[in-house]
Amino acid sequence: MRQTNHPDEDVSSLINAIDGISPDCPLEEVAELFSDHKYSKLLSLPVVRDGRPIGVISRYRFMDIYLKRYARELHGKRPVSAFLNDSPLLVEVSQALAVAAQHVAANMKFPLTEDFIITRQGNYLGVGFVMDLLNAMEVKMGTNTRELERTNRRLKSSQLALVQSEKMASLGQMVAGIAHEINTPLGYVQNNVAIGRDLFRHIQTMISGYEALVDGLLDEQSTDELIAEQMQQVVEFRSDMNAREMLGEMHGLMDDSLYGIAQISELVLNLKNFSRMDAAATEAVNLNNCIESALNIGRNVLKDRVEVVKELGDLPKITCAPSQLNQVFLNLFTNAAQAMEGQGKLYIKTWLEEGAVHISVADNGKGMPEEVLARIFDPFFTTKPVGEGTGLGLAISHQIIQQHGGEIHVESRVGEGTRFRIKLPVAPATAVQQPAVLEAVA
Amino acid sequence: MSTPTLLLVDDEERILRSLRMLFFGGYQVRMATDPHEALRILRDERVHVIISDQRMPVMNGSELLRQARDISPATMRILLTGYSDIEASIASVNEGEVFRYLMKPWDAEQVKKVVAEAAAIAEVSFTMQQNTAVAADTSGAKPRVLIMDNDEATARTVHETLSDRCEIIWAADAQHAMEELAKQDVSVVVSDLMLGETNVGYILKTIKQLNPQTQCIVLTSFNDTSRLIELINQAQITRFLPKPVSKGLLARNLESMLERFHAVRNQPELQKRQSVAPISDPQEKIQAGNFLGLLGRLRARIVA
Repeated sequence: MRQTNHPDEDVSSLINAIDGISPDCPLEEVAELFSDHKYSKLLSLPVVRDGRPIGVISRYRFMDIYLKRYARELHGKRPVSAFLNDSPLLVEVSQALAVAAQHVAANMKFPLTEDFIITRQGNYLGVGFVMDLLNAMEVKMGTNTRELERTNRRLKSSQLALVQSEKMASLGQMVAGIAHEINTPLGYVQNNVAIGRDLFRHIQTMISGYEALVDGLLDEQSTDELIAEQMQQVVEFRSDMNAREMLGEMHGLMDDSLYGIAQISELVLNLKNFSRMDAAATEAVNLNNCIESALNIGRNVLKDRVEVVKELGDLPKITCAPSQLNQVFLNLFTNAAQAMEGQGKLYIKTWLEEGAVHISVADNGKGMPEEVLARIFDPFFTTKPVGEGTGLGLAISHQIIQQHGGEIHVESRVGEGTRFRIKLPVAPATAVQQPAVLEAVA
Repeated sequence: MSTPTLLLVDDEERILRSLRMLFFGGYQVRMATDPHEALRILRDERVHVIISDQRMPVMNGSELLRQARDISPATMRILLTGYSDIEASIASVNEGEVFRYLMKPWDAEQVKKVVAEAAAIAEVSFTMQQNTAVAADTSGAKPRVLIMDNDEATARTVHETLSDRCEIIWAADAQHAMEELAKQDVSVVVSDLMLGETNVGYILKTIKQLNPQTQCIVLTSFNDTSRLIELINQAQITRFLPKPVSKGLLARNLESMLERFHAVRNQPELQKRQSVAPISDPQEKIQAGNFLGLLGRLRARIVA
């Protein structure tokens, strides 16, 4: 059998250039041909007149006629044209393999008794074997499958890269915000310490002045003049009202500094909790804590324009990947903030119902029309300007929730706001170990 | 000089308390956590220097400084922020016309120095204001406008806007720009930050050192905030227009920069309001030094 090396080719590779027999060929000669080993593979013989196929005679049909009693005597001299199947299976040589296969499969008769005829613009070229066609198709399918697999792998890796870039984008936004949050307390703490240092130096000088005076007074050899001079120095220090007032204020600055340092520590702790995004370790946590943590991280985006209204119910700990859920919450919160024109409100509510933890995140922002709502969880769908959103935030959130065995739904009204509802089972979900990677886009 | 007044604006009180201590004794310190309160103080009192945070709930720092400029033009404006985003930086140049853009956390000594400098300049401005304002005198030598940009559209707009009043030079590379600068000072520079392969940051900084009267408009598509902040402080670029720039916007800004050039030329005391901080980048410092030296030699040759 011949092999098809180029699966995308047409059916020309399937041609067996068998000479067609003339319609006038007597049946007894056909009998000779059928027994000729040259034609042993043929199920049927093509009959050709003036270069065009007019039919076939199958081995099966020939036997049916010719093996009957006296058939040789009765029909031996009669032309083959009297016994033809005059509507054979025709395939144009230019047809693609797949098309030809479809055509043959749809029209071939069972049991398989005939080969098909290959033509070029109706002119006879040769005979094709159904088995060859099937083999060629199989090879082609194999190649297709391999190609699909390759494409699939490529898609998966580019998706990984995209998910990563979404993470980096939100990380970048976060870092910028966090930088501000840290720089503000850092600003006054550093300044206060610098002021404190100068003041401390001043006080040191003052103390040594006092000490010199005391020493002078105690020293019997000291002269009145020397003491008067030292006294004068101390008086000068005492009259430096600035230093005095500053010393009084310094207490407050010290308290401020401690407060600032506590704020920085808290932020760093939050960051540390948050930065385990990729670790995706499963832990039993109270989701209220995740929400608080995400609010802390997102404070920079939220604080200027969003009033947060929390109504957090008593929740049992659930086994989940907290860092992933943090990511989901932060995403919902920042989206809500971005949906607001001017000041707005963000309502966060949690409760336990029927063995599941429910979270509702609602805003009174600008809302979304139907057509946006329908696509909101689609990967790469974004309403933000180019470069600002990857369009993956909610797609990833959706997947994280699904991997936790939960559900996320959204409802929205233009001009009124948007509400996301998340439901997570209390019983441990199974497939949360995987980091959030979008499944292949079908 | 009487004790200068300093107005501190930040939504974090602890910043205000901390800064107040830094300026204790030397200044009359006023504080506001609310920008509206700050504007009220500006209206009622003579304020030498205003230092504002950028990100505040009711009003951005750059917006506050823009309004401050209208209310009290002599007051020197400083932005002190922990959050450097590109919009804030651009707005601080174009709207706030800040004297310095400082970052949190700050260096106490540096801030003290900058404020002292600003207060002294403001004092001069206040006394000038009391003398009658000098009418803008556009006579004198024809202003020279130097274009350092490969973009033909820029050159065309400059020509259409100013060719009737100014001599216009279009330098498509750093070498050409330098030769032109050697011949004579320029009044207004319109520049991209990249001229071919050359990063022209140091040229802009040198120009401003060479002649503080020169007004610089920067047009660029780059968005490196830290470099922009450096240019605000060390080159006092007067306008920053992100590319692509609309023709109308560029034309408007050209007019106002030319006007400002005339104002500064007539009242040299105004120059001080645009005095620059020393170049901080060591590489650029060397480049600028070389550039100045080269210009000096070229000028000597032209004179001879």
